[in-house]
Amino acid sequence: MNGYGGSILRVNLSTGKITKEPTPLEMVRDFIGGRGFGAYLLYKEVPKGADPLGPENKLFISSGPLSGLMIPGAGKCDFTCKSPLTGGYASSSLGGLFTAEIKYAGLDSIILEGVSPRPVYLFIDNDMIELRDASRLWGRNTFAVEKELKEKLGEEFQIACIGPGGENGVLFAHVNHDYGRQAGRGGVGAVMGSKKVKAIAVHGTKSIHVADVTGYRQAGLTLFKACKDSEGLKPWQDYGTTIVVSWCDEVGALPTRNFSAGSFEGGKTLYGPYMREQIVITDKGCFGCPSPCGKYSRMKRYNTNVEGPEYETIGMLGSNLGIADIQDVAQANLLCDDWGIDTISAGGVIAWAMECYQKGILTKQDTGGLELNFGNVEATFNLIEKIAKREGFGALLAEGVKKAAKKIGKGSEKFAIQVKGLEQSAYATHNATAMLISYMTCDVGAHHNRAWAITYDLQVGRDRVVPEKVARVIWLQNFRPMFDVLGACRLQWVELGIDRDLYVPALEAVTGMRRTWEDLEKVGERIWNLTRLYWAREHEGFGREWDMPAPRFYEEPPKTGVTAGQITKFEDVNKLLDMYYEQRGWSSNGLPNPETLSRLGLSALAA
Amino acid sequence: MPAYIRPIGVLKSYIGGKPEAAVEAGRTLREAITELGIPVEIVAMVLVNDNQQPKDYVLQEGDVARLIMVVGGG
Amino acid sequence: MRLYAENSRCSGCRACLVACSLNIFTENNPKKAALSIISHFPAPGTFEVKVCTQCGECAQVCPTGAIKQNAKGAYHVDFSECNLCEACVPVCPEGVMYVRTELANTSWKCDLCGDCVAVCGTNVLRIGEIETVSAAAAA
Repeated sequence: MNGYGGSILRVNLSTGKITKEPTPLEMVRDFIGGRGFGAYLLYKEVPKGADPLGPENKLFISSGPLSGLMIPGAGKCDFTCKSPLTGGYASSSLGGLFTAEIKYAGLDSIILEGVSPRPVYLFIDNDMIELRDASRLWGRNTFAVEKELKEKLGEEFQIACIGPGGENGVLFAHVNHDYGRQAGRGGVGAVMGSKKVKAIAVHGTKSIHVADVTGYRQAGLTLFKACKDSEGLKPWQDYGTTIVVSWCDEVGALPTRNFSAGSFEGGKTLYGPYMREQIVITDKGCFGCPSPCGKYSRMKRYNTNVEGPEYETIGMLGSNLGIADIQDVAQANLLCDDWGIDTISAGGVIAWAMECYQKGILTKQDTGGLELNFGNVEATFNLIEKIAKREGFGALLAEGVKKAAKKIGKGSEKFAIQVKGLEQSAYATHNATAMLISYMTCDVGAHHNRAWAITYDLQVGRDRVVPEKVARVIWLQNFRPMFDVLGACRLQWVELGIDRDLYVPALEAVTGMRRTWEDLEKVGERIWNLTRLYWAREHEGFGREWDMPAPRFYEEPPKTGVTAGQITKFEDVNKLLDMYYEQRGWSSNGLPNPETLSRLGLSALAA
Repeated sequence: MPAYIRPIGVLKSYIGGKPEAAVEAGRTLREAITELGIPVEIVAMVLVNDNQQPKDYVLQEGDVARLIMVVGGG
Repeated sequence: MRLYAENSRCSGCRACLVACSLNIFTENNPKKAALSIISHFPAPGTFEVKVCTQCGECAQVCPTGAIKQNAKGAYHVDFSECNLCEACVPVCPEGVMYVRTELANTSWKCDLCGDCVAVCGTNVLRIGEIETVSAAAAA
């Protein structure tokens, strides 16, 4: 099948049985690849009510038809499962070189099912595939594991592994790869750990066939030229996602002290150009990327290196914790990466704990002696390790902010900044209504990357509550995740402003199937509705209540910073949701109407 | 001698697609940008002679200020 | 003319490798590329790019004359004449003379097509005049 690896690898960890099936044509037709495969397989194969950390959950790892080819950013791999953190849909995108390698091994998806009786790693070398003993790797941090496997197996092997966080079932544990790329959110690392899979080591030397080599080469070169000619290329290469730190601070979107404000008085030592000057040594890219946003850094103070920090980590482990020094944030980033937990969720839950401490809801006795004041760098470092090990006070935080706040109570649930159980990522939404509805309705919980709408908010009036804003968010939600489906990065379109229609001839030449962006967005809409059904299936009474934002964003105007005194009215929160459901073709309780499901060809699946 | 504003990418559309506009020195970046009809809120970063400056930086004669737009974020 | 690589700008993306294999073999397979990216991670955290300098040592030792110069003056392998003796591999000072019999039944090397330059977003690669030692010293 042109463009595809061709096979789905099914690994039953309970029995040790490994099988390969040809990638089904209907799946390619209706769900295309990557995240689309993940969503479809999750709905179809993981039974209702499955324990996310038990044998019935599955981890679906999928590349897309553009992965591994001469296409800008052809390096994205989707990790999908039932989330142990939210109990709903988890999909996390891993960059680096992993997705390309699984294609060269002839695979489109890897399915991990069951639970292994002992720690293993999945070894894939073209058609030689086996589960190998990982007892000597178990318990070790991710950097050491990747290094050892690469030394032992060969530099050409691509490694994805979990750290102690994943082994210990930290609900927001992640999967690491290439010393700095992660499948970060939703606890995909905990699912891998629950199956006792320490790592996946893959090596492939097969070529990827395309339908029309000449057309593909031409379309690929045209895409690369468009990226290289873009005026936005140099600043993006220099700063990557840190390009927006100063802007977010300026417009009140930089989460500060558990989202109590949107600008941070210590912000200047977190800005992109300052960071580049202080710590960055290499611009590191994912597969096929002409605009490398990864910033590999050296922290002289700690004598360590890390890939990062990205904007999200700067927000969540920097300003959100009241930490102002980029070297300290970078070190906290490294600790999360090495121990194996998501930086965004870690920042969210630690900030919550700091506010509890500030308010006297938690004391030094509860925290095992840690003085959890905002800005306490040492306590933050200490806590990251404790969380990964589920040790002492870390065990509470390892549950994620929603469950932790439920356990502690005393009003702390009000400032657990999350939606659907996923800690909100780094945009403060006291007064940015498009971004607010984006977070409320994001399909994995409060994550920003489906509909990054905050510029739009600033362009058309941040507090306006109008159908156009909702329409914009819906369009972005149908469109942006399609890159995850194709197995390529969206940031060339997003950041360099290249014409997205340049991907159409490339996709057609690769797969032999013509799809316009209209076709692709329809698949996006289909996936969006399918995952909505998944949430409804897994959570009794799922509906409107689950789309509500943290009360902070309609009850507590910031006291400081650019958005001081600004807040969204609760009636507007509901108004936004009403407009959203209507435009989506959902009921007033937020469930897809039969007509919508029928239009998207989901009636049979949903039945 | 003036200072120069160079909007990058889509921002050029606010000044009729031209690569550069001359402005009087002695005013802040914010004032100069606003004067040119560019919405200040969507300018992510300003690099003046390759160094990032805040928007209340006062333009000196001969300064070249590149305006980078927040395009689509993460 | 030869390829030059500025290591400090390499991001490790490997786009050059796919462009290269596509040119030499009409295949998407970075393992069949005629240049190499070496990763030095987690420390010191840099990439190294190995490219053919068109020194001609490989052509000198090739017993079948399979390594010829093309219209650009670049040495390249005529697949039909390579007998896989591997004499060329150890003499290459950059390690960019490739033999991997599990991937191809011929050796292969850079033919200076320039596609790698076209896809490199960070301007690591360029094609330029071969600088002699004296010319470089004078510069």
